[in-house]
Amino acid sequence: MPHQFQERHALEELVSMNAAAAADHLAVVARQAIVVVLAAEGQEASVAALLTADEEISVRFSAPGEWLVVTGLQTPELLQQSLAALLRETAHCVDQSHGRVLLRLSGANSRAILAKGIGIDLHPSAFVIGSSANVLCGHISINLALVDKNSFEIVVMRSFAESLLHDLCEMGRAFDLSVFFAP
Amino acid sequence: MTAYRLSAGGLVDRATSLNFTFDGQSMKGLAGDTLASALLANDQMLVGRSFKYHRPRGIVTAGASEPNALMTIGSGARTDPNTKATVAELYAGLEARSQNSWPSLKYDVGALNGLLSPFLSAGFYYKTFMWPAAFWEKVYEPIIRKAAGLGRAVLERDPEAYEKCWAHCDLLVVGSGPAGLMAALTAGRAGLRVILVDEGFRHGGSLLSETTPIDGEPAAAFVDKALSELATLPNVTLMARTTVFGWYDDNVFGALERVQKHLAVPSSKLPAERVWRIAAKRALLATGAEERPLVFGGNDRPGVMMAGALSTYANRYGVAAGKLVALFTNGSAGYRTAADLAAHGIDIAAIIDSRADSTEVAPFGTRVIRGGSIVDTKGRSRLSGITVERSGFEERIDCDAMGMSGGFSPVIHLACQRGAKPVWSETLKAFVAPDVGAGLRLAGSAAGLYALAACLKDGADKARTIASDLGLLTSAAHLPAVGEETTASFTALWYVPGARSKAFVDFQNDVHAKDLGLALREGFGHVEHAKRYTTNGMATDQGKLSNVNAVGILAGMQGVSPAELGTTTFRPFYTPVPFGALAGTSRDEHAAPKRVSPLHGWAARNKAVFIESGLWYRSSWFPRAGEKTWRESVDREVLNVRENVGLCDVSTLGKIEVFGPDAAEFLNRLYCNPFLKLPVGKARYGLMLREDGMVYDDGTTSRLSDEHFLVTTTTALAGGVMSHMEYCAQVLWPELKVRFCSVSDQWAQMAIAGPKSRLVVQALVEDDVSNAAFPFLAAKAVTLKGGLKGRLFRISFSGELAYELAVPAGYGEAVADKVMDVGRMHGICAYGLEALNVLRIEKGHVTHAELDGRVTPDDAGFGRMLSSQKADFIGKRLSTRFGLTAADRMQMVGLKPVEKDKDIRAGAHLLREGAKPSTLNDQGYVSSACYSPVLGQFIALGFLKSGRERYGEKVVVWDRLRGEETLAEICNPVFVDPANTKLNS
Repeated sequence: MPHQFQERHALEELVSMNAAAAADHLAVVARQAIVVVLAAEGQEASVAALLTADEEISVRFSAPGEWLVVTGLQTPELLQQSLAALLRETAHCVDQSHGRVLLRLSGANSRAILAKGIGIDLHPSAFVIGSSANVLCGHISINLALVDKNSFEIVVMRSFAESLLHDLCEMGRAFDLSVFFAP
Repeated sequence: MTAYRLSAGGLVDRATSLNFTFDGQSMKGLAGDTLASALLANDQMLVGRSFKYHRPRGIVTAGASEPNALMTIGSGARTDPNTKATVAELYAGLEARSQNSWPSLKYDVGALNGLLSPFLSAGFYYKTFMWPAAFWEKVYEPIIRKAAGLGRAVLERDPEAYEKCWAHCDLLVVGSGPAGLMAALTAGRAGLRVILVDEGFRHGGSLLSETTPIDGEPAAAFVDKALSELATLPNVTLMARTTVFGWYDDNVFGALERVQKHLAVPSSKLPAERVWRIAAKRALLATGAEERPLVFGGNDRPGVMMAGALSTYANRYGVAAGKLVALFTNGSAGYRTAADLAAHGIDIAAIIDSRADSTEVAPFGTRVIRGGSIVDTKGRSRLSGITVERSGFEERIDCDAMGMSGGFSPVIHLACQRGAKPVWSETLKAFVAPDVGAGLRLAGSAAGLYALAACLKDGADKARTIASDLGLLTSAAHLPAVGEETTASFTALWYVPGARSKAFVDFQNDVHAKDLGLALREGFGHVEHAKRYTTNGMATDQGKLSNVNAVGILAGMQGVSPAELGTTTFRPFYTPVPFGALAGTSRDEHAAPKRVSPLHGWAARNKAVFIESGLWYRSSWFPRAGEKTWRESVDREVLNVRENVGLCDVSTLGKIEVFGPDAAEFLNRLYCNPFLKLPVGKARYGLMLREDGMVYDDGTTSRLSDEHFLVTTTTALAGGVMSHMEYCAQVLWPELKVRFCSVSDQWAQMAIAGPKSRLVVQALVEDDVSNAAFPFLAAKAVTLKGGLKGRLFRISFSGELAYELAVPAGYGEAVADKVMDVGRMHGICAYGLEALNVLRIEKGHVTHAELDGRVTPDDAGFGRMLSSQKADFIGKRLSTRFGLTAADRMQMVGLKPVEKDKDIRAGAHLLREGAKPSTLNDQGYVSSACYSPVLGQFIALGFLKSGRERYGEKVVVWDRLRGEETLAEICNPVFVDPANTKLNS
């Protein structure tokens, strides 16, 4: 007898479905594919070149020779397959789609909100669009990327997602930050 | 009435009157007042009692250095003790109370201490109350603590919210007086990212009480213009009500912003206070200079104030501290104040100038006594006159307030907080900041410049230099034209001889000149010793007013220059910072993050009781209806696993995937047992050692393909093992081609254990899980019925036939629900951490209770795992050292109470039968203990000297905490199925 298993988001009962977003908004991405790419010894430059040339995916630096590949467009299986085809023997690809939660913080005050937890300089001249960094947000380690003028993406470990959500809500309280699942 | 509000002038809003109370008495102030200026406007000269002698004290300063006017503000849980009235912004409804007085400020019983003062000299508590020793803690200290001290903290929970925030800039300007404001303008115009911080509620610093016109206008108008220009610059951030309290590594500055301490009803959306960490490429201190008090007899009487403070109250707040004011000065500043006060129509009783040959001009008609000094003051709880002495001639001069000016000390605290010592300047007669590098410079009065025009220019010049340092070229700033100024000058005057009554050096700590003499006589002449001996420079003001005079007096007493004495050590914080603000949001549920297992919802549905385990919340046991104690639930869960089948969440264990052609070699060096030949599709128990040969962590490692492994760690050391591996790969063996990453959060993992576990697992997965196809220690990717991909491991912590099934975390709950569903017919139960623990103790399996960092593999019974074939592995060399191989090392054993109804608890120690209970006779200890429902009695694991040779012998389990001694039999630590027949079935 085949079993049908329902997938459950880490923040399922904590965040409501989409409604009207405030000026500053935290969108919880319901389904994403995230793969950690580990370049094989000596292949760091070629893997970096192959990854950045691919326009379908968003690449986040996370350590020397290590990237997070993030997409909301593909399933984890398809992303794994396309990366395997792209990189072949030059890298190891580890699926983390279930192990990470993707959040998108946007709005004019997004930098002021993040400054309450993050120590790096997020000024547009210092952290330009396309930048990413592994940073601490309060007590929790995250990967932060600037994807648009005032729009950041946060990748956090699944088990920490609930605590990070609470922290971000606290950080955004002064700005009436809204939180919903992304449509 | 003597102190009063002037009819005009000042930067207060005369149209907005604010009601407040002081010691329950209703008073009125104006918007723009500080609590201190409002108190003065209400003629409240007496504001507190001193620390030790309970002497009446009044307001001395108009700023952050205030030693006396410390108030308790607010009520109930929102009570702030030790708030300086001189910086507290007045708001409608403010409730202030004086401190350190009983039953009232006016009639204070503690003032009797003043009569006892011969016995309360410096260091009195070191000497007077030495004997008998037993009295110190119970009698003397409580009495001293009750009598001395400042405000009292309330015990209620603090209802305020606090937060911490980061900021980054090219230039941090501390202080917005003339130098700071010009620096911010210059740097802001040049395009630098500038943060301009001021501790006041209004930017402008000394300019707000400046009477010299700038560009032909009042100084305050210049401030307004500058601020409105700065507000238009997107690269400039203005922060008021913010005190930069510390300078830290990497040019990070700590600052405290009082976000809404000035509001009667704070907004629930905002914190009360906010701690900023400001990372600045460059910083410029424009912190100004502190006017020094003069040390003369009776200088602490309410009404004796700093001359500059008198000017500030008159010019900025429109408040006169008296109707007839005397001034005592050793320089030009006293004349300046006299002119300020005269301009407001306040009468000057006299200017007493300690210098005989000064040339300053006093306001027309003012009496000047050159070469004179004050030897005493008159009045009870407020000043009514002074005794002036010149060449032996004494006269009494009536006055109701007086200003003292003893010269200036640049405010250099921040520059000296990282080890650099202040430098004595003979020209400035003051300690100045040493060169601390390009990261931090000083400008204006903080750099020893006391003229307004010089400060404006210095701020602009220093900002220009910094801009060019950072690669931005700027043209010379336009400097505003400054009206006529007198040249500031003063001589050093540390102590005014001939004092008739106590001449105080430190008002806050009641240290007078004679205390310093006593310190010197008793061998505490070193400036740091004198501070500790006399308490000069301690408490909330940290000697902002008193330190320089204390150094000058101590130096004078020894006939040396202050340069030889030096200063005490400058440390953060510049002014006190509440602990709440330092904690920020990290309290209650935000004190530490909570990690949630992907099976948390499943456990909650099955009514788990959760327990904190590190950051994780793990299911501890699953009570069922009718079970009254946790033990009933745990016993049932254990027996059910042994008889049927159970499901336990093991998702929290660390999981690390290792890749690369050298992955096997890497693991082979990491673990003490061999891994090179581990076949694909197999798991193996591995033991990692530290370099010192002690066990570090354990877990199973599976080979998923030739160059792909999955390492598991304990929950506790998941992060530690990952860091350890990174260190090994990057530092120890960079030549190995290996990559790895943590997948702990990607997988939900469940242990399905018990004799019926195969039936349950087979109902779930497509693959054959029979003993032949999937024997003990098999490890493979599997497909669940319906197509979901997972991983299955035949490993067992309980000693039963058992599997661990891993599925992507998002599917964890659904799969666990299904396991329970298909397992129902086999009698499945959920079991938690407690049952898991009982099962593993029964089987003699170890956890970190056993592997506590003092245990070698052989101690724990794993001696044969140590591979002698391997050339090297971490811990190999030191494993053979003397002591680690000794025959009498403590070895792991099992323990059973001889009397079946007795219990054993972990932590108890082991003694030979008949030995006196003492740690000298220690034979070992109990590491884990539990009630075994299978054996029907308590069992334990412990470490005992030469334990493995002593099976059958009896030892005493000595539980010092409960005062019990229990006789136990030493046995094999494997209590259940020592032949492993269940495991392999």
